[in-house]
Amino acid sequence: MNTTLSAILLLAVPGCPLLLAFPAFRSRLPCHFSCYIALLPALILLAVPTVFSVDLPWLLFGTGLGINGASRWLLGMSVVLWASAATFLYAPVSQPADNRFITFFLLTLAANLGVILATDLVGFFAFSTLMGYSFYGLLVNGGNKAARRAGCVYLCFLILADLLLFEALLIAAAMTEDLSFEAVRQIMGQSASPGLYLSMVLVGFALKVGAWPLHFWLLPAFRSARPAVALLLGGGPVAMGLLGAMRWLPLGEITSPELGLIIQGLGVVAMLYAVVVGLMRVQQKTLPACVAIFATGLFVTALGAGLADPVVWSRYGNLAYFFIVSLGLGLAVLIIGIRWLELRKPSSSPAKQGDDLTLWFERGFGRVVHWGGQIGFDTLPRLRAAWLADVGCLRQIRAWQRILDRSEHFLQRWIVAITLLLLFGMVVAFVGAVSLI
Amino acid sequence: MNWNAALPLFILASSLLPGLVIFFLPEERIATRTTLNLAGAALKLVLVGVMIWGVFHGHHYEIRQPMLPGLDLVLRADPLSMLFVGLSSILWLVTTVYAIGYLEGSPNRSRFFGFFSLCVTATVGVALAGNLITFLLFYELLTLVTYPLIVHRGTEVARRAGRTYLIYTIAGGVLLLIGTVWLYTLTGTLEFTERGFLSSLDASQYPALIIIFVLLIAGLGVKAALIPLHGWLPQAMVAPAPVSALLHAVAVVKAGAFGIVRVVYDVYGIQFAASLGVTLPLAIVAAVTIIYGSMRALFQDDLKRRLAFSTVSQISYIILGIAVVGPIATVGGLVHLVHQGVMKITLFFCAGNLAETLGIHKVSEMNGVGRRMPWTMVAFTIGAFGMIGVPPLAGFISKWYLGLGALDAGQGWVIFILAGSSLLNAGYFLPILYAAWFKSPAETWPAERCFGRRETAWALLAPPVVTALLTLAVGLLASAPFSPLQWARFITTLEYAP
Repeated sequence: MNTTLSAILLLAVPGCPLLLAFPAFRSRLPCHFSCYIALLPALILLAVPTVFSVDLPWLLFGTGLGINGASRWLLGMSVVLWASAATFLYAPVSQPADNRFITFFLLTLAANLGVILATDLVGFFAFSTLMGYSFYGLLVNGGNKAARRAGCVYLCFLILADLLLFEALLIAAAMTEDLSFEAVRQIMGQSASPGLYLSMVLVGFALKVGAWPLHFWLLPAFRSARPAVALLLGGGPVAMGLLGAMRWLPLGEITSPELGLIIQGLGVVAMLYAVVVGLMRVQQKTLPACVAIFATGLFVTALGAGLADPVVWSRYGNLAYFFIVSLGLGLAVLIIGIRWLELRKPSSSPAKQGDDLTLWFERGFGRVVHWGGQIGFDTLPRLRAAWLADVGCLRQIRAWQRILDRSEHFLQRWIVAITLLLLFGMVVAFVGAVSLI
Repeated sequence: MNWNAALPLFILASSLLPGLVIFFLPEERIATRTTLNLAGAALKLVLVGVMIWGVFHGHHYEIRQPMLPGLDLVLRADPLSMLFVGLSSILWLVTTVYAIGYLEGSPNRSRFFGFFSLCVTATVGVALAGNLITFLLFYELLTLVTYPLIVHRGTEVARRAGRTYLIYTIAGGVLLLIGTVWLYTLTGTLEFTERGFLSSLDASQYPALIIIFVLLIAGLGVKAALIPLHGWLPQAMVAPAPVSALLHAVAVVKAGAFGIVRVVYDVYGIQFAASLGVTLPLAIVAAVTIIYGSMRALFQDDLKRRLAFSTVSQISYIILGIAVVGPIATVGGLVHLVHQGVMKITLFFCAGNLAETLGIHKVSEMNGVGRRMPWTMVAFTIGAFGMIGVPPLAGFISKWYLGLGALDAGQGWVIFILAGSSLLNAGYFLPILYAAWFKSPAETWPAERCFGRRETAWALLAPPVVTALLTLAVGLLASAPFSPLQWARFITTLEYAP
């Protein structure tokens, strides 16, 4: 394929939704049309059966986009998911989408497609950050209180994840100028101490996908998001996070049995946790979250196996792409099914009301306290009350604020003192000068 | 006098002469004043463009005028000065457009624009200064011509802020003067030289050089708002928005940071400064300032005050990049000189728009303002995300090079400072964006002005949109020729050449 044409096509895949995200560019189009039109370049790219990539040396520090067999599958999944979400968005029973929601929708779409096509760490990071922030907009825009709280937790995790991945990126850049996935994988494979990089990448992407035990945003997000957004959760942040872990980690190049074992252990616990929570929860809307936690647990176990034995990953690693595709599509089907069931029985089973966002350890702690109270051990409630009071105080950060305010007040009020300090500096300088001369 | 000698003078004159003429214009001569302002700014931009092209191709631009025996007034163009002059010229033009819209109908505009032009003249003088004495003269001139801009509104609060500004900056200027004179007695020269001019001095002079370094940095640190010398900056927020933009992005604060870069690189020389052991304390001061400024910003409800503390923090990135000692960190520090300016001016323009259009001065009044002023808030969002360091915006490029430079120089602790600062930046910018975009708007705004179908006046809206686009462009196209990043690399190559 012609280089210019391929460059244009590859750039158009994330570029078209990015342009349409500006309301001015889609003002003459019917709202739902813009969501479908944004997918057109991706569809055309899917129809071109060759593997190709393009270098963009003028973009950021020099980056690239490309498509191969694996990313073609992921692109296909994304097109199906986003087209379904767009259809869901305008279904008669759906909450109407405003102009701002469409902007967030198209921005997230652009970033999602960019993540799939990125051929290096910087491009991937840039697109995934854009995806994270715009997905936050999707979660929160027009949502209820629960959605906003879920968005808040998601945002905190996203910021932490981006910080960790940025640090990992710096470590990689300090070791090699070529930040393509392949080059980084090789250089990290040869590195004597890749531990810091590995841990940052693992924790960073675990935060992004909501892997256990960093899954706090996932349950409320699935439960409170509007159906079109919930549909995208699996194929969007979760799938792209898993893809990131695959592409950033030096799988197949590194042997780390201890780390691999720990990760496998975490993966197994995550799966058990998902099963237990799935059985205990009665809300249908929670089910996809449990499935997602189970699936990420399974994926983490596979990653652990890959880190422990590179041969295993070399042999079976490619299956991970199909796993991601199936996860994205499977979760979407599950959500559509649940929505369909809800529509069939709108009034028979009202959603269980409860404080869903309470953290599980908080509830566990409450039960222990309750039990302690029943057996006459009443110190625990006091301890708990004191602990909660401390946490509340910490949250408000009043004490810190007061200290800083006072220091600032001092600095501003005592300008004469500051001036005297400077004059003191001069005196010291003169004394120093005289003694030296 | 040939063209190469005259060009620096022409660049100075392009803002000096319009400024002097504007002083004598009656208030009602709006069209003449606007024409002079814009023509001066546009002419300066063209001349600076020519000079940048010339410097890149190895042309030498210098004019030298004897002042005292052995001391000359020197204006010289080098790659470092071009970075600062280029930034000032572009942002001056944008700020002039903004100021014209902002001050429409207000009194004393001729006085304002006169000093405004003189302020830019002094800034360009600071940038083009070829030796420390010329630098000092323009640096002090900058202090004097900025004062009337800070007290422009004439209120008691403004006068108090102006007084504080003068006390701080004059005290800093005195320290700078002492350091300069002392240095001259030791060396007999004050010429800025690549890789410094002090390394040939006898080792017995090193203690004196350390004290001089402290004096120079303390003097420059007042304008650069290094802690604890930053107290004037939050108070100066009482000035009109274009002045705040000028203080934070183009002139005063930048002049301080630029001065520190000059002292470290062209007076001491980075390697010599490192061997004297003065760079690590400087890096620590910068790191403390970064964290302290961000923490203070976190608790401010007044929008401009929050932005002011953000400046305190962000300016020290430049100093940190220099003090880390290494070519990559230097690129980060130098490029942030430009990037911080572009991002911060965007934020101040937006703050000014909110104040002028809706009477919003506090973060707590910003609920739902994104619906009422979408363009302004999109620009603000880009600026804020840039400050946090979100890719592909300008701040990401700066933080990338600072972090990489720290690793390269074996100073891993800087990474934690950058990470902490990014977290704090997110902590004080994201709540603003959340309130603006996702909270329900108030029924009435504090003091709403109507501009027809537009969200605000064109002259107020265009500048933040342009600078927001610049924030995006300098990040996204960082590797393009003549981008600030490429220019910073060019400077670093010269500084670290074997």
